[in-house]
Amino acid sequence: MGVGAPRVSLEIMRGSATRRRKELIVRAVFASAAALGLIISLGIVLALAGEAVLWLTRIDLGSLWAQGWFPRSDEFDLLTLFAGTMMIAVIAMAVATPLGLGAATYLSEYASPRTRRILKPAIETLAGIPSVVLGYFALTVINPTIVQKLFSSAGTFNFLSAGIAVGILTIPLVATVTEDALHSVPAALREAAYGIGARRRTVTTKVVFPAAVSGVVASLILGFARAVGETMVVAIAAGATGTALRTFNPLEGGQTMTGAISSLAIGSDQVRGSGNAFLSLYFVGLLLFAVTFALNVVSERFVRRVRRMY
Amino acid sequence: MGKRGKWLAVVAAALSLSLLAAACGGGDDGGTGDTGSVDLTGTITISGSSTVQPISSLVAELFNQDVAPNVSISVDGPGTGDGFVLFCGGETDIQDASRPIEQEEIDACAQAGVEYVELEIAFDGITVMTNPANSVECLNPGDLYALFGPESQGFASWSDANQLASEVGGTGNFPDAPLEITAPGEESGTFDAFIELAGFEDTALGRGVPEDQAAALRKDYQPSPDDNVIISAMEGSPSALGFVGFAYAQEAGDQVKELQVDGGNGCVAPSVDTIADGSYPLSRSLYIYVNTAKLAENTSVKAFVDYYLSDDGLVTGVTESGYVQLPADRVDATRAARDGAAA
Amino acid sequence: MAIVAPQATRSTVEAALRGRRADVRGRLLESMLVLALLASLAILVALLFTTMVTAWPVLSSRGWDFIRSDTSSIESRAGVWQGLTGSFILVAFVAVIAIPIGVAAAIYLQEYARDTRLNRALIANVRNLAGVPSIVYGILGLVVFVQALRSLTGPDTYGKSFISGGLTLSVLVMPIVILVTMEALRAVPSSIREAAYGVGATRWEVIRSHVLPYAAPGIFTGAILSLARAFGETAPLLLVGAVTGYFSTGTGRGPVEVLQGKYTALPTQIFAWAKLPGQEWRQNTAAAIVVLLAAILIVNLLAILLRNRYERKW
Repeated sequence: MGVGAPRVSLEIMRGSATRRRKELIVRAVFASAAALGLIISLGIVLALAGEAVLWLTRIDLGSLWAQGWFPRSDEFDLLTLFAGTMMIAVIAMAVATPLGLGAATYLSEYASPRTRRILKPAIETLAGIPSVVLGYFALTVINPTIVQKLFSSAGTFNFLSAGIAVGILTIPLVATVTEDALHSVPAALREAAYGIGARRRTVTTKVVFPAAVSGVVASLILGFARAVGETMVVAIAAGATGTALRTFNPLEGGQTMTGAISSLAIGSDQVRGSGNAFLSLYFVGLLLFAVTFALNVVSERFVRRVRRMY
Repeated sequence: MGKRGKWLAVVAAALSLSLLAAACGGGDDGGTGDTGSVDLTGTITISGSSTVQPISSLVAELFNQDVAPNVSISVDGPGTGDGFVLFCGGETDIQDASRPIEQEEIDACAQAGVEYVELEIAFDGITVMTNPANSVECLNPGDLYALFGPESQGFASWSDANQLASEVGGTGNFPDAPLEITAPGEESGTFDAFIELAGFEDTALGRGVPEDQAAALRKDYQPSPDDNVIISAMEGSPSALGFVGFAYAQEAGDQVKELQVDGGNGCVAPSVDTIADGSYPLSRSLYIYVNTAKLAENTSVKAFVDYYLSDDGLVTGVTESGYVQLPADRVDATRAARDGAAA
Repeated sequence: MAIVAPQATRSTVEAALRGRRADVRGRLLESMLVLALLASLAILVALLFTTMVTAWPVLSSRGWDFIRSDTSSIESRAGVWQGLTGSFILVAFVAVIAIPIGVAAAIYLQEYARDTRLNRALIANVRNLAGVPSIVYGILGLVVFVQALRSLTGPDTYGKSFISGGLTLSVLVMPIVILVTMEALRAVPSSIREAAYGVGATRWEVIRSHVLPYAAPGIFTGAILSLARAFGETAPLLLVGAVTGYFSTGTGRGPVEVLQGKYTALPTQIFAWAKLPGQEWRQNTAAAIVVLLAAILIVNLLAILLRNRYERKW
């Protein structure tokens, strides 16, 4: 404690130069990694947009409204693909919503911790099943035994069995996101309700669920986006061929945006008869990217609301 | 540091294990034929028709097994049309085709400077089939046009086609039963072959169908690239209708009922014999097209083509795949064509 | 008069509160929820059961031989070796490329980046990428790796090689790795960080010595689950050239040739075999599915084991 004690200067506080340099290097390395993410999404948009625009200039814009999707005959009815995608997504959500929400609610509110520890990984295992396996299952099991028994007019391929299969795929996504949302509702809310004598089901339906509704809706939107983007199940079970007539009947087969892309791509670079067929792949890809992008943005708004409330 | 280090170790171990496994090759390393070019190496890329793919795949496998295990071969089957584009782009060495090359493709190859030789390797038939419970037995080209052709769009029942059938020389008299068609799609060579063999284009043009729609089927049938599925669709309804390649129909056995086709000389059922002697109307040739430049410069391509055209390929390979082998004179013609190109 | 209070067990309390009326609606709700849960699991069981039944003849008669054989046109000889090794190599690519870069990006976004609009947009962008359908990544891979970078990825195979497939899958999986890692980092309590800052550590030192170890289990789980996801992907590989038919590769190739050469993956093989006719091929397809599910299950179990191993109570 004397006059000779060194003053605490900024230099001393800063520390050694080597450490500082290391910090900067590390920071730069990490920053470039993050920049890569940006580059990738730009890359996707560019890769698609350029060719998509080229395609639009080449085709007769009237062919975007035709009797169906027949790319090699220059018929590019977009509504066919869009209707197909929406039908599958809607059917899938009809399956995934009750089962996913129900399973999540049970796991979060009713199940004992031991049950939860066993069953939650089981549901997550369902998430790990590759879609090609589920497509095969849809074709060989779901369709013959369930759909065709119920609706005799259903063909070998139909949107219904593909939609059910996609729904099965989506259950774990809906279940896990909903379960997280329900679980993160503060215990204080629950305890308050129980404290005034509410029954479990009242607490669940009138207190917990409404508090978590943003997260629940977010999970449904994510599930919908997943269903929209599903390819393999459709490729195998809905008869993903190169062509389809426009239909709004789920008992018929047809084509979705993802199926159209994969069928064009499994072919090869160009096809005879119409060089425009392959290029249409880029346009449909861009459309798909835009649709899922929009869905994700919407769901994010909801998730942010949950975070803000607590 | 422990976590990081362990993680890196695990990753490195996994990576090296996989590379080791892959680099050591897979499957049977055996099969050294005594006439062997065991040290023959090279790469052969084959693509094209999914109908011919089983033949080329089997021949490639036998070639690797008995002659040259170190030659790397890949066989894909995106379709004849799509395959020709790759071929004329110089990306494949051998093109499998279930129909002869078309003018547009000839032009494309010429433009790209790709020269080729056409080698006929087998016969195949197109089997028109229905559910075993269906009473229909025999169809002629007029019937086929009335059921499948561009003007049959919208016919939901067999009997709807009776009127059209009588107009184009078909026998008609179809029952009043739901007409559910499952067949290959536009991208398939079988689609093209069916239209051509049944003469749809001429019939349609003669009846005033616009040119760009004449060589087509009706648009409202269920297309499928998967022959398995077409066959199982026949079981789906007692009056289902469809067509596939002969080999697949044979494989299906009792699952389907093969219809007879009357090409003007009576109803003929598809069989190995009727296809071989040409009495079954819906029969066609299968080809491979070989890039002559690659044939000259790539010794493994030459060895493979020779193997293909030997009895091992044209007899064993073809028949084991379920197709019909060429009669002796056609075999000679093919071999002569190969000799001409290799000269 | 002594007041004999009934024993205050759970059931008596509940009965008292309920007023002896059975809570029908409550029970109904509960049973419906249980039903939903059981239905979800029942589907899983049904799928596994039907697949096993179909696969049994092949697996029981050929067993290890089925795994060790190459693909073949002859049903009784076909095996999944090429697909299995192919899938493992592709997953190795993902592990080496996507995970380090993904974790690094997440560290930056979560620990270094200031909360500006630009950075929020960047994070939102990553979330969107995670939701993009895998086939769109296939298109990206086709345009960039197969066509544009052909000379690097596969000069002899027109760009359709392991490198293209591996890079495509890496790009696909990276956003998921970033998101999961960010979540794991976010869960680290600030007290941990502050403790490290308090003794004069720089930001990187804080991350390295305090934040990462705490977040490690979560990062691990996320990384391994994304590897499992990459293992099961089919659609993008079809676009970047995984071979669906027969292919042989000869022997004696160096690692670079292998990586630049033709390839296939297990889900691709399943997709191709599902189209072949006949009962035997159906059995082969089911058997291949069993192998795929087993592989993914092993990877998932690995995730759980590693997570338990590294989990620490704070």
